[in-house]
Amino acid sequence: MLETTRYEMGRRVRGTAVLTVGVSLYVAFIVWYFSLLDPSAFEQVAQSLPPAMLDAFGMESIGSISGWLGGQIYTFLWLLGLGIYFAYTSAGLIASDIESDRMDLLLSFPMSRSQLLIEKVAALCLPLITVNVIVGGVTYATVASIGETIDPVSLVMTHLLSIPYLLVCAAIGLVLSVMVDRAAVAQRAAIGLIFVLWLVESAVGAAEDFAWIQNLSPTHYYSPTPVLIDGSYELIDAGILIVAFLGLLIVSQVLFYRRDI
Amino acid sequence: MATIEVTNLTKDYGTVRAVDSLSFAVESGEIFGFLGPNGAGKTTTIRALLGLLEPTAGTATVLGADVHDEDALIDAKRNIGYLPANLGFTEDATGEEVLDYHESVKGGSRRDELLEIFTPPVDRPIREYSTGNKRMLGIIQAFMHDPELVIMDEPTSGLDPLKQEEFNEFVRSERDRGKTLFFSSHVLSEVRRVCDRVGILRDGALVGLEDIDTLLRQGGKRVQLQTTDEAETDLAAIEGVVDVQTFAERFQFIYTGEYNTLLRELATHDVREIEISEPPLEDIFMHYYGGDGTAESNQEVQSDA
Repeated sequence: MLETTRYEMGRRVRGTAVLTVGVSLYVAFIVWYFSLLDPSAFEQVAQSLPPAMLDAFGMESIGSISGWLGGQIYTFLWLLGLGIYFAYTSAGLIASDIESDRMDLLLSFPMSRSQLLIEKVAALCLPLITVNVIVGGVTYATVASIGETIDPVSLVMTHLLSIPYLLVCAAIGLVLSVMVDRAAVAQRAAIGLIFVLWLVESAVGAAEDFAWIQNLSPTHYYSPTPVLIDGSYELIDAGILIVAFLGLLIVSQVLFYRRDI
Repeated sequence: MATIEVTNLTKDYGTVRAVDSLSFAVESGEIFGFLGPNGAGKTTTIRALLGLLEPTAGTATVLGADVHDEDALIDAKRNIGYLPANLGFTEDATGEEVLDYHESVKGGSRRDELLEIFTPPVDRPIREYSTGNKRMLGIIQAFMHDPELVIMDEPTSGLDPLKQEEFNEFVRSERDRGKTLFFSSHVLSEVRRVCDRVGILRDGALVGLEDIDTLLRQGGKRVQLQTTDEAETDLAAIEGVVDVQTFAERFQFIYTGEYNTLLRELATHDVREIEISEPPLEDIFMHYYGGDGTAESNQEVQSDA
């Protein structure tokens, strides 16, 4: 058990390191930039913007460090950037092995297809957990270093609740990966889909007649800025994301089990 | 029970029938050659044997496990080695890492012993490997857990001639240890040298199932030479000479008779140039399985599938 997970994690060490360092540097830059700004001027700018835009860019309380990070880091980098990263990565999990004929060897192992799939997905825990733990720590430390404070519990919850969201993004990529024959197609479709889902949540929120559409988007169930500002969140949202993740995982298992290699 | 038993196996890909009602059996302890031109359906058959493909109709058992039964097949795979035609190893991993992974999943009791015969640079990343090195790594992973059955798809492609000979020797010694080897190839001479029995596949159907002596007798040699017109007439009259063709300078035929007869006849003529070689696979089909290679097969075969 877990031999494949161990092997695949070993293959992900470098990518995880690059991702974590990159995101950490960006966070450090954003925090440092905040120390140069006059917060009250920002509040004024924010008040002049239409509410839909404030909502889309997560610009509530942009004058505080929590609001600033929520808008600059979590709404963009976490929801969109990392969402795309995990969808893209898992879109390659199966499709690229099939394309490179590596799947021939893997399926000659005494191992069921569903176990292979689960073990490969489990290897994504390495980047998922590393990036959350390290970047969370970097955020806390850099905020402290510019003389601001951020509630550590809210920060931890922001990261913790992002995990079900990112798992759903990964599962969306996975379904594409088992459906499509070519890795590049699955990966492009995954990027497009996550972007559209993110956009749907932001754009449709204001239009009442179509508000139901946003229920389809995983971003609807994870709002980092309020968690960060006042620690408010709904556990049911995380529950919905976990159920969606498991559902998509089962769908991809069924599709993978039935397909010809 | 036979090690591999294929019964009316059929695989359709939409309009193309890759394998057409194929039946044969591979007995325990033999080297079974699976011979056919590229595109004949060899790899499709192998993939069905390993459960990678769902057959459209028919079935197969491998080490007693039905290919439709995933659990039984997983158990059987503990005793199966597989050397695919295209080796898709993780490019950025080293050979060592790949073998460690394979060993952790299926065992590797013979790994060190095999690394003495086949010598890929295991401490280097696979992206730097030549085709031959990749092939050697593939051979090691296929045999390292000492399986009962090894299924090999074009196993010597990319190996240099010396390593090919070592590999063939190794395969024979495995057979002598009681292992069963399924040897898929499009190279007739190779199959002849190594295998005990051979199944010949064409357009997804079996057109011949012979022991190797019969194939050797039937296969004959292709003789190409430059000589006089009179010699050509005499040669064409010898028993065992078929498929006579005359080109501008060259005279060519397939000879299936006794060698000394041919040599004695040749010695009485002026031979300016001669080449005696294995006939191409297509020629064997043409002469021993009828005009389009289907005469001895009772199944329908699509023309250009």
